[in-house]
Amino acid sequence: MNIEFKSRYFICSLLIFLLPSCTTVVIDQVQHQATNLKGGDAIVVIGRRSGSDYETEPELISCIGTVLSHGEEGINVIPENDFVDTLYPWFEARTAPTHVQALQRLISYEKIAKVIDDYNVHYIVWVDGNTEKTRGSGSISCGLSPTGVACFGFGTWDNKAEYEASIWDYRTKKLVGKVSSVADGTSYMPAIVVPIPLIAPVQADACKAMGKQLRSFFTNNS
Amino acid sequence: MNCFKRKFFRRNKATATLLCLLMVTFFGCKSTLEVEGNFPTPIINQLPFDVGVIYGQTFSSYKYIEANKDRNKWEIGIGKSQVQLFNTVLGAMFKNVVITDKVGDESSTNFDMFIQPNIEEFQYNLPSETEVKMFEVWIKYNMKVYDGQGQLIADWIQTAYGKTPTAFFQTQEKALNEAMVIALRDLGAGLSIRFVRVPEINDWIKEHDKITTNFVKPKKEAKKKETKNNNKNTLLSKRNSKLLPINNKI
Repeated sequence: MNIEFKSRYFICSLLIFLLPSCTTVVIDQVQHQATNLKGGDAIVVIGRRSGSDYETEPELISCIGTVLSHGEEGINVIPENDFVDTLYPWFEARTAPTHVQALQRLISYEKIAKVIDDYNVHYIVWVDGNTEKTRGSGSISCGLSPTGVACFGFGTWDNKAEYEASIWDYRTKKLVGKVSSVADGTSYMPAIVVPIPLIAPVQADACKAMGKQLRSFFTNNS
Repeated sequence: MNCFKRKFFRRNKATATLLCLLMVTFFGCKSTLEVEGNFPTPIINQLPFDVGVIYGQTFSSYKYIEANKDRNKWEIGIGKSQVQLFNTVLGAMFKNVVITDKVGDESSTNFDMFIQPNIEEFQYNLPSETEVKMFEVWIKYNMKVYDGQGQLIADWIQTAYGKTPTAFFQTQEKALNEAMVIALRDLGAGLSIRFVRVPEINDWIKEHDKITTNFVKPKKEAKKKETKNNNKNTLLSKRNSKLLPINNKI
């Protein structure tokens, strides 16, 4: 009887632990020109790292790349690190082109143009933004006693993920469009002896939404 | 009774271990970091110079030791990685790079120039110290360039900045290492792009007439120059065919 009660208690705790909090995602898209992604063409997703008080997270960039390349109709995505390392020092935080005209100037250098051509890059997607905690309240206190550590209390916080992707056509040297993804979510952490985190996957949801939107951006027009 | 005693001691032992761990965490912390990273070779046009580079003992084994009593104790070893970066970047920038001990050494008169980097200032910020959730690193380098005879050509400050955001399950050491590697990459980028734009160096290069263009030659300009040279050569060949080989070399 005791064992049965314990296993039920454990399953309930596990379910609560695995239950994620809710996230709201808003996607916006502006398209200036139709895309024309052919078989063999590649795209590269790069994070902007020039902000003074934030940085586009590398894990978000790789997440968007994974969403874009996933499935049978997956797009050929060049990993950010490979691209930036091969083209060092021209795509570093302080040297990367900030607008299409600067890209035009950059690829007027033969060596750089050759590397990009070798990758068969058709589109460059620049992602700018970050995920941050916007509000936090509640308190959890933990105590140490001869019987062990125990925590009591309740904590809650809001996260906001705000990202914007600018899509450059490398071949026509034009800005093709923009996709933005804004995700809000509240996480909770009740603590009754053990803290139970109910985390809202704000960044992951923003990434999935942006990835899917970018995918339709490239595939619906081609 | 025996069982109760055993339980009591087990619990006390566990508590004591936990207390010790907490004390070590809060009072006895000293973080050590030896910066490690890979630095890619820059895509730039090579300058046709033989260069001697002087690192010096202080530079190649540079270690920042936090002296501020209000901050956590940190020991950050940068020496090895900065030498690795300079070797990679300078190796791509110049035709031939050799590590030497002195500027204008008699045995090394074959060098066109000497480069001597030095760290002037090092600063870092941890997220716990600022409102920004970022590990940040600033390094100020003093770059000195001498000619083959040991005369100072240029002396300028090259800054390096790197930052990395906080992430779940990432240790402070790993995050600071990442920020350091980004800062060193930034240094390499600045040095490789800015070198020929330093006015004194640009003048020296023009004087020495070994190179007349920047590191990377734009396609159009290069093509224009090629066309101009071809036209020149054609004109010269019409005037005097004996001059052609010399002009071709130039």
